[in-house]
Amino acid sequence: MLNRRSMVTGAAIGSLALVLVGCSGGDSSEESGGDTEVTVWTLTQEPTQKAAWDALVEGFEEANPGITVVTEERATDPHKDALRQVAGTDAGPDLYRYWGGSGLGGELVDVGMSQDLTEYYEEYGWDEVLTPAALQNATQYGGYHGVPFIQATEAVYYNTALFEQAGITTLPTTYDELVEVAQTLKAAGITPMEFGGTVNWHVMRLLDSLIETMCGADTADELTTGDGDWGAEPCVAEAFTELKTWGDEYLNEGFMAISNDDAAQLFYTGKAAMTIEGDWFGPMAIDGGLAAEDMSLFAFPTGTGRAYGFGELLYLTPNAKNPDAAAKFLDYMVSEEGQGKLGTAFSALSVNASVAPPADAPLGEEWTGVISEATGLFVNNDQNFSTAETTEFWRVQNSVLTGDIDPAEAGEVFQQWRDANQ
Amino acid sequence: MAVVPGLVEQAPGARPRRRTRRRSPFLTALPYLVPSLLIYGYFIVYPMLDSVRLSFYRWSGFRTEEPEFVGLDNYVRLFTQDPVFWKSFGNSVIWVVLSLAIPMLLGLLLALALNRQMVGRSLMRSVIYIPSVFASITVAAMWRWIYNPTLGMVNQLLEAVGLGAWTQTWLGDPKIALYSVFAASVWQAVGFPMVLFLAGLQSVAQELVDAAKVDGANAWQVFRNVTLPALRPTTVVVVILTIINSLKVFDLIVGMTGGGPAQSTQVLALWSYTQSFTNHSFGAGGAVATVLLLLSLCLVIPYMAWSMKGDGK
Repeated sequence: MLNRRSMVTGAAIGSLALVLVGCSGGDSSEESGGDTEVTVWTLTQEPTQKAAWDALVEGFEEANPGITVVTEERATDPHKDALRQVAGTDAGPDLYRYWGGSGLGGELVDVGMSQDLTEYYEEYGWDEVLTPAALQNATQYGGYHGVPFIQATEAVYYNTALFEQAGITTLPTTYDELVEVAQTLKAAGITPMEFGGTVNWHVMRLLDSLIETMCGADTADELTTGDGDWGAEPCVAEAFTELKTWGDEYLNEGFMAISNDDAAQLFYTGKAAMTIEGDWFGPMAIDGGLAAEDMSLFAFPTGTGRAYGFGELLYLTPNAKNPDAAAKFLDYMVSEEGQGKLGTAFSALSVNASVAPPADAPLGEEWTGVISEATGLFVNNDQNFSTAETTEFWRVQNSVLTGDIDPAEAGEVFQQWRDANQ
Repeated sequence: MAVVPGLVEQAPGARPRRRTRRRSPFLTALPYLVPSLLIYGYFIVYPMLDSVRLSFYRWSGFRTEEPEFVGLDNYVRLFTQDPVFWKSFGNSVIWVVLSLAIPMLLGLLLALALNRQMVGRSLMRSVIYIPSVFASITVAAMWRWIYNPTLGMVNQLLEAVGLGAWTQTWLGDPKIALYSVFAASVWQAVGFPMVLFLAGLQSVAQELVDAAKVDGANAWQVFRNVTLPALRPTTVVVVILTIINSLKVFDLIVGMTGGGPAQSTQVLALWSYTQSFTNHSFGAGGAVATVLLLLSLCLVIPYMAWSMKGDGK
């Protein structure tokens, strides 16, 4: 018994000694030959995205011996929670992937979770490399915050076979023509457009586009990113009225009760003719069973000429342990070589202005057309608004669709909330 | 021989010993309770009180931002300017009332039915109880499909039997969405009270039932005057657990509607979470949680007091 006790005690002391040796033996980077570590927190990646990211990291590490990139992935909400928990501590990463917009990225910038990168932008000349739309995401808070990782663009996807079946031969270039297209499709027994209403942001794309259409670019910006009065602008009532019409007449039956994934099946299987989706959607539709030749897209005809989309960036934390090495990684990421490694796994278009979409990218040519013709960008409102504002915006949007709020009063209801809560 | 508290039992003829005051049972138990009380205090009571404290502050949840004391501001906003709070409050109350009425009553009826000798009794008990052990999020996913407006079983069944006019967007219509979710909760929850009532029914003295029958009591009179009083302790437990479980309903609603459409199925527990973790308004979230806590206490304490009073008679 005594022997056994001695053995246990000896083992415990031995373990403790090993742990202490481990703790005092310097960091792992020293053991691996003086490597500098750059930690990146990102979102959980799909297999193709993970492969592209790994290729990017591998390419960077080959080009920069001595720097190791360590990636940590989390699902969306845990990612947000983890960042909130490490804010103001040394426990955070060097870089983290996050959305742009005053509501999402702006919140982290406001609480000091992002380091101004002006110095690095000047050193590496990223201003010259990035597309104007992508760069706008980094400069929107004042200074330079984050380096664009994705510039996603959204447009109206349509089923060419269903358009042909309904006798539609020309694409709509005005909003009235779009409504005519919807009417024609409906008359032919085809669901004009599909959305899933349980995820509010899916339907929000239609409302955002209608606000841009009815209000014009300047007023829309005043409303979404400025101090515009939602209750005082008649165009807001028009936009909500049109939204209600689409909900009643042209969207898939029971859309409020189904998710976007379920709704997307209607598009994949040729039961709905249109949807508003981003440049990531093409491969998904093909995987879902829609023939590539049956799918095309056009910009929502807002009349302002601006494209619709949003950005994601890699932000540098204020307590980054290796900011210079992190900046080198960012530079590689936006370079032609780095963008080549990422390919179209995250979005169809590159944030690097000189990188054209690969020839085999689904709808790459169409997307290039949408972007090259755009006079600017209007952004998804869940990125423009604070999270609390977005929650209320979606309540108003859905209440109009369910008939609980009169479209004419929707803007005023939203404005009242803004006045009371800001 | 009964032992009177405070007296030490003596053998007959023994020399009388000095009366000693017996140590309070609570003090005797205290050393054993301390570890549990410490853990309970740190992980349950402290967060609860801290949540109440937080309700008087404005805070985004980021360490880099200092919480700002705002007094009752969060409560004022909640009661006067929050367009969702009263809806969620009303929905929580509706959920409690319906839960006390429907699954509890169904559980009692099923327990009475399955307390009799019959073929397949154990199997039926198991089948009814099994949904109670499913994770709510799984139940939510399953019922979301059942309610799917085009492909779901409910609408297809209605179509098949010629009741196509009764088809609905069960989760998309704000007027019925809450009740649609509640129906799924009944399916999941009814087994639990049934099992408790079945256990309670084992304590009903058969002699009393037989005596009542000999006295000419019919089935209802036996139930009313013999079975129901015997089930009183079980009913107290079921009612309290039902109230508490109803007030904290969360995952089923998150999984089926996310509180929508247009916040029509929002409840207090989910609204507290949304304010804190989605809207990053931890003060407002704490205020909703405090209201939920007070509501729970208002419902549970009077009922417990009433039921304990009954026990003393």
